[in-house]
Amino acid sequence: MSEFLTIAEAGRRIAAKQLSPVELTKMHLERIRRLDPQLHAFLLVSEERALADASAAEARQMSGQRRGPLDGIPIAHKDIYNTAGIRTTAHSKLLQDNVPTRDAHTVKKWVDAGTVMLGKLATHEFAFGGPSFDLPWPPARNPWNTDHFTAGSSSGTGAAVAAGLILGGTGSDTGGSIRGPAALCGIAGIKPTYGLSSRAGILPLAFTLDHAGPMAWTAEDCALLLQALAGHDPEDPASVDRPVPDFTAGLGTGVKGLRIGVVRHFFETDHRASDATRAGIDAAMDFFRKEGAEVRDITLSPAADYHAVGYLLMVTEAFALHAPWMRERFMDYGELFRDRVALAATVSGPDIVQAVRRRRVLCREMAEAMENLDIIVSASQPGEAPRIDALTKWTNMEKPSFTMPFNVTGFPAISICTGFGAGGLPVALQLAAKPFAEPLLFQAAHAYETAMPWRDRRPAMAG
Amino acid sequence: MARKRMERVVSTPKTDEAELAVLLGRSGLKLTPDQVREILPGAEIFRAMIARINAPLPREAEPALTFDVEQK
Repeated sequence: MSEFLTIAEAGRRIAAKQLSPVELTKMHLERIRRLDPQLHAFLLVSEERALADASAAEARQMSGQRRGPLDGIPIAHKDIYNTAGIRTTAHSKLLQDNVPTRDAHTVKKWVDAGTVMLGKLATHEFAFGGPSFDLPWPPARNPWNTDHFTAGSSSGTGAAVAAGLILGGTGSDTGGSIRGPAALCGIAGIKPTYGLSSRAGILPLAFTLDHAGPMAWTAEDCALLLQALAGHDPEDPASVDRPVPDFTAGLGTGVKGLRIGVVRHFFETDHRASDATRAGIDAAMDFFRKEGAEVRDITLSPAADYHAVGYLLMVTEAFALHAPWMRERFMDYGELFRDRVALAATVSGPDIVQAVRRRRVLCREMAEAMENLDIIVSASQPGEAPRIDALTKWTNMEKPSFTMPFNVTGFPAISICTGFGAGGLPVALQLAAKPFAEPLLFQAAHAYETAMPWRDRRPAMAG
Repeated sequence: MARKRMERVVSTPKTDEAELAVLLGRSGLKLTPDQVREILPGAEIFRAMIARINAPLPREAEPALTFDVEQK
């Protein structure tokens, strides 16, 4: 067995007893052994646990007690998700021996769904940017070209899904840490609405911007994973108590009648994206128009406004969390994390109040823009993955991010692959929607993915 | 309807190394001069972000400062 399966297809075959969860798991463990020495996607491989999970899933399969579409599916978790009895490090020297006693709420939900846990995945230290070369483990590499960056911070998940080491995994997104690696690794990744998925048991970066979400090869797979991830958790004060919709309900229903607004100035003037990225967005809009959607350009505040608010709140909230360690163990952090978060020292009280006030203005602006729209489109990243050695610790501050606007507002957003650039690496677009309108995002993303050839191509190294 | 796009001119005073050292020290970070210099280029970029945030706001920005007694 060497083919690449999606979660949806693997689930169907397991349900039909055509695929053994144990054999599927062994195949992925073998891929990890073969490819991960070049990718560094995993910080820890939990082989024994994975085989036990797979055997249990197979027993349920054979006795007709399968728990649903994720039962027997090989996954792994970003290493900021607490896993009971399994080391959880945040990719940091400060937590390199940390072994939680409880699963994060989201980890437990995937356990309950029958997933097979293969291990813990690389992040960037405490889920902030990257890449860093002075941490206890190296940064993950992009499977499309291992000289290139994965983006971050859900870097291990992006690399592992693209190379077929896992079928899906968890990410977290404070300024784009799900959508960035999804874009540069050529997969799908969704940052759900703020409050839809619990952060309890996930090591925080910035409380008001952190989101937990899934990453997988397709939007359909993300829908299946989010179905088992979402839901109220009283242990997360931001968690909303409302029914979880069927995220797969709109798959296959097309995009006819959807109203789509393109924030063209974000990626044409505010931060000009590559030719391939812009061409990919234009081609996608042509597709949506042809399928019956209404597409028009819209104007929001400059991307730099969203970026400034998000970045200031991110570093100040992170400093509030890390101040005790930063004061006593500054040099135990990697250079990138400690120097970026130290910038919080230059922020005054009135600056923070002004950032919170401006955030309200931006949230209202986006809500008003969405009143007559179903979806907002922008770029996910400015282009293909840069070389991993071409980035400085200030790179992510120099130009405005395309993903941060949806952390600032909390609106859901998904990144999907729109093809490949001149360097042969993936490019992507980002779809965003009103709060709790994730089903629409999956509907539109699935329509695009199934009509295009991009899901048929895997990194050459993955064989 | 989306609002009309308004790009503001943001003026940013230059970041001073001595001032940065004072601010870092006041926040409890005991850093060497070399460590302060490592942070200086980022502080310069960050200062422009802070200036952008402090551009004048409309009066309706005020609700972010209210307190909801019934919140969790």
